[in-house]
Parts: sequence; C-alpha cells; structure tokens
Amino acid sequence: MTLEGLLILSAVLFCVGLLGAFTRRNAVVVLFSIEIMLNAANLNFIAFWRYGENPELLHGPLFALFAIAVAAAEIAVGLALVIAVYRHFKTVDLEKLNTLKEE
Amino acid sequence: MTQETAFYLLAIIAVLAAVTAVRLRNLIHGVFALVIFFAALAGLFLLLMAQFIAAVQVLVYIGAVGILLLFAIMLTERVTGDDGRRITSRGGFWGATAALGVAVFVLLPGIQQTDLNRLPAELAEANATAADANATMAPPHTVEALGKRLIEPYIITLEVVALLLTAALIGAVAVSQGARRVEDEEEASP
Repeated sequence: MTLEGLLILSAVLFCVGLLGAFTRRNAVVVLFSIEIMLNAANLNFIAFWRYGENPELLHGPLFALFAIAVAAAEIAVGLALVIAVYRHFKTVDLEKLNTLKEE
Repeated sequence: MTQETAFYLLAIIAVLAAVTAVRLRNLIHGVFALVIFFAALAGLFLLLMAQFIAAVQVLVYIGAVGILLLFAIMLTERVTGDDGRRITSRGGFWGATAALGVAVFVLLPGIQQTDLNRLPAELAEANATAADANATMAPPHTVEALGKRLIEPYIITLEVVALLLTAALIGAVAVSQGARRVEDEEEASP
C-alpha cells in the first residue's frame, strides 16, 4: 500500500465513473457515476494526508469531510431535479430530454 | 503484510463493484453494487487511519445517498422486471475508449511524472509506521482533534457548508414539488 498505488486506484475508479457518465442514458445512473468520481477524489485526499507532511494538521480528513458534505448537497438537488424532470417529461432518458420547456 | 492483502482485496472489490454499478442494466442491482463500492471505500479509509471519515462514509453514502438513489430509481423507473422499456446505455465502445484515454494519457502519466518523492520515502515510511505505532496505543487522530481543527481555523468553512446544505435541502424540496404548487395557486387565486 504505497501512495502511488492509492493514486492509481483512485485514477481507475475516477475513470470507471467517467465511463458511466459518458455511456449511460439514465439520469440517475449518471448521477451515481458522478458520486463514484467524487469518492475517488476523496480517496486521494486521505492518501495524500496519510503519506504527506504534517498529518497532525488533519487537512486531508477535513477536506474530505467538506467534499462529502458538498457531494451530499449535490445528490439531493440532483435527484430533486431528476424527479422534477420526470414529472414533466415522463422519462429520465437523457437523449430524449432535449428541450428546457415543453411546447 | 496483512495490511497489504487487505488493501489489494478492498481495491479489487471497489473497482469490480464500481464497474458493475456503472454497467449493470438492472438499476436496483446497480445501486446495491454501488453500496458495496462505498463500503469498500470505507474499508480503505479505515486502512488509512481515517476512522471518522470511514464512519461518515458509511452514514452519509450507504445510509443516505444509497437510499435516496433507490427511491429516485423506484419513482422514475418501472422495476417490475420488464427489460423492454428500460433505458439502455449506448455508445459503450466510444465511452470506454474515452475513459481509458483519460486514464492512460492524462491521469497515469500525471501520477508517474509528479515528483511524489518531494517527501523522502523514508520520511513517508516513518510517518506511516509512527501512525501505526500510535494506532496500537490510541487512535492517532481522534474525533476530538478533528472537531477542534474544524472549529479553530475552519469555522467559516464549516458555517458556509452548513448554509450550503440547508439551501440545498430547501432547494431540493422546492424543485421537486414547487412547479405544481405554483400552478395550483394560480388556478386557485382568480
């Protein structure tokens, strides 16, 4: 378990999330792909904290904590938007959502 | 040695669960795979001595985000098992190519070229072993220390995050049911 190993794992997880965000057409799946990417970033914060200088300052966990809070806010608003869009269009297929206002 | 094994095991579980979550056609199963991914990441945080972050990961991600995603999927998708009407993915090849391209040409060279040894390897090892030694006696970085740091230099950040969360929750409620409310009031008022 080296810093480099952790960074590579985090990069791989980020790309898995990217793959999901690129290829899936369901809005909910795109949202949770973004969650996977955010988690990969959190892993980086913790890894740099553990193997970096001055671990007693706790910068890594604090940054991860704030990132988790922002991610939670994002997922709440994102899912609310998905549900609002579903009410309006009766679908969450991203390829069919090509207008902001229903004629 | 056991730490090394645990790391590889958790890493493999995390990657497999993430791929499953992203590629599975059954979305409910996908969310369960995502929960396994979150749990594996919580395990990694524990391995890295970030106990509180691991606990927060379980509480926020597995407890809240997982359930929220399940509800969103059940509200927007028919989950009775007929695959015909499900929204499928498309462009898997190009998506995979793009994601792999980002990994191979951007992230991995970045990791390779960054001078991670700005911190000498011995010092990093010493830090890690010191943390391990601490861990056997008492948790090195307790919730208490985290809380003090949160109050002492980061109080403004903490309050901004609290404000953001409040605004996001109010916004979520307003967005998910606001439109109809306004229409009702417009109909009712004249």
